[in-house]
Amino acid sequence: MTILEVDSVIKRYGTETVALDNVSFSVQPGEFVAIIGPSGAGKSTLLRCINRLIDVTSGDIRFAGVSVPQLRGAALRRHRTQIGMIFQHYNLVNRLSVIENVLHGRLGYKNTLQGILGLYSEQEKRDAVRILETLGLTEQMYKRCDQLSGGQKQRVGIARALVQKPKMLLCDEPIASLDPSSAKVIMDTLQDINRTMGITVLVNLHQVDVALHYAERIIGVNKGRIIYDGAPHALSNAQIYQIYGSEAGELILDLKERYAA
Amino acid sequence: MEVTASASASRIKIRQRSHASAVLQITLLSLTLLTIYGLITIDSRNVDVFAALGDMINNFRIVFTEPRLEKLSWFDLLRELMITVSLGLLTTVIGAVFALFLALFAAQNLAPRRVNDAVKALMAFVRAVPTVLWVLFFAVAAGLGSVAAVVGMAFHSVGYLVKAYAETFEELDAGVLEALRASGANWWQTVFQAVLPSSASALLSWTFVRFEINFSVAIAMGATAGAGGIGYDMFMASAFYLDLRELGMFTYAVLLFAILLEWSATRLKVTVGARRSY
Repeated sequence: MTILEVDSVIKRYGTETVALDNVSFSVQPGEFVAIIGPSGAGKSTLLRCINRLIDVTSGDIRFAGVSVPQLRGAALRRHRTQIGMIFQHYNLVNRLSVIENVLHGRLGYKNTLQGILGLYSEQEKRDAVRILETLGLTEQMYKRCDQLSGGQKQRVGIARALVQKPKMLLCDEPIASLDPSSAKVIMDTLQDINRTMGITVLVNLHQVDVALHYAERIIGVNKGRIIYDGAPHALSNAQIYQIYGSEAGELILDLKERYAA
Repeated sequence: MEVTASASASRIKIRQRSHASAVLQITLLSLTLLTIYGLITIDSRNVDVFAALGDMINNFRIVFTEPRLEKLSWFDLLRELMITVSLGLLTTVIGAVFALFLALFAAQNLAPRRVNDAVKALMAFVRAVPTVLWVLFFAVAAGLGSVAAVVGMAFHSVGYLVKAYAETFEELDAGVLEALRASGANWWQTVFQAVLPSSASALLSWTFVRFEINFSVAIAMGATAGAGGIGYDMFMASAFYLDLRELGMFTYAVLLFAILLEWSATRLKVTVGARRSY
């Protein structure tokens, strides 16, 4: 049983630019998938097609048996509640407190009035507090988000996604703006969520070494096409060069291997 | 050595010439020429400029150094001032409420392009017509007086605040809106949970700017539209009783209140800022 099935998806911007060119793959529940590729390869577009922040031009995406491109109104909102999303720039409301930001994850479950007034049930608040606790943010609960460090902000972002009780997490460059140690904390957290809670994780990454270290499966994208889809250990250097459209010796990866040797 | 060689070859410009700066320079030049032309060809008729200037300075002296109340008591003065203030406050509040909702539809990141354009075009029209004309326009239906003044001033306030609010909303981080949409929030929820909290202090300061404008407009409306308040008394003192000393007192009262307003606006911004803004 697959949780996500992307079937020959094409996304065009205007008439010229093709962001996704006949992309097909499927994801099993509980998988940890890393999508790698150069900037502008279509990684972000791909993630946004899955929760319909972007409409596909053609093709089908099925999530938990439901065809996504046709969804409208309430059904679309319900679909989105099942998928948490994490962003490179965290995308928190800086002037609100941590707990308020986390509870935004529940808005998809609320009616308009409850959402406008910010009326959350005690159960929802308890869940939010518990999630903040597991992410080590109890102290920061009532702080405003602009007082947090980058790593803390990203953990708030993760908490906001988790409070949705999602089946899948979409992570768009979650560590691209973080220092190495915060980045490790975030990646470890995502791995932990994947393993202990059984939530499927789809993560866009720039860092090949991070992808190889954490992911169970790598999808390599270049110019909107899938170049590689398989296990990390089967990914050869030649294929990495192909994904990034570069010659051997042009990636930072090469330096690292030289130092390691 | 290479650096100095290339630097000395030609002078380094730090600002590139652009179309915009050329247009600006031409505009300034033509305005200067027009001003000079206007001053040269001015028709002073039989007025002795220096005598008139002397009289004017004398009038200013009387207004500002010899103020006193004649027809009105201190209590009257305060009451009239409060009438003007409430005229300004009422029109600002009414304007702000309507503007808040209209601005949501005028902001490019919150509503479809066609709706933006429609609201913005309408508001540009409302703004282009001066407040006084709106008041006179509504006076046709309501008669000259406070009702016409309130409706007309509120009308123009809406036009002004929609523009200010909408531009505030457009400065919002698009990612935040995307994040809330991604979690399944609908439009109204996004507005109230992300848009308004993020822009609260900017909205407040725009509203205060408009209150200051409305306060001064309310003074003028007191005279021209018969809306009452201190403006009407100023009009009577100057044009009817020719009492410059009483006019001076009114001027000081208005000035004092304007300073008070500015001070409390700053205080409020600091308090709200501590809670919400940076």
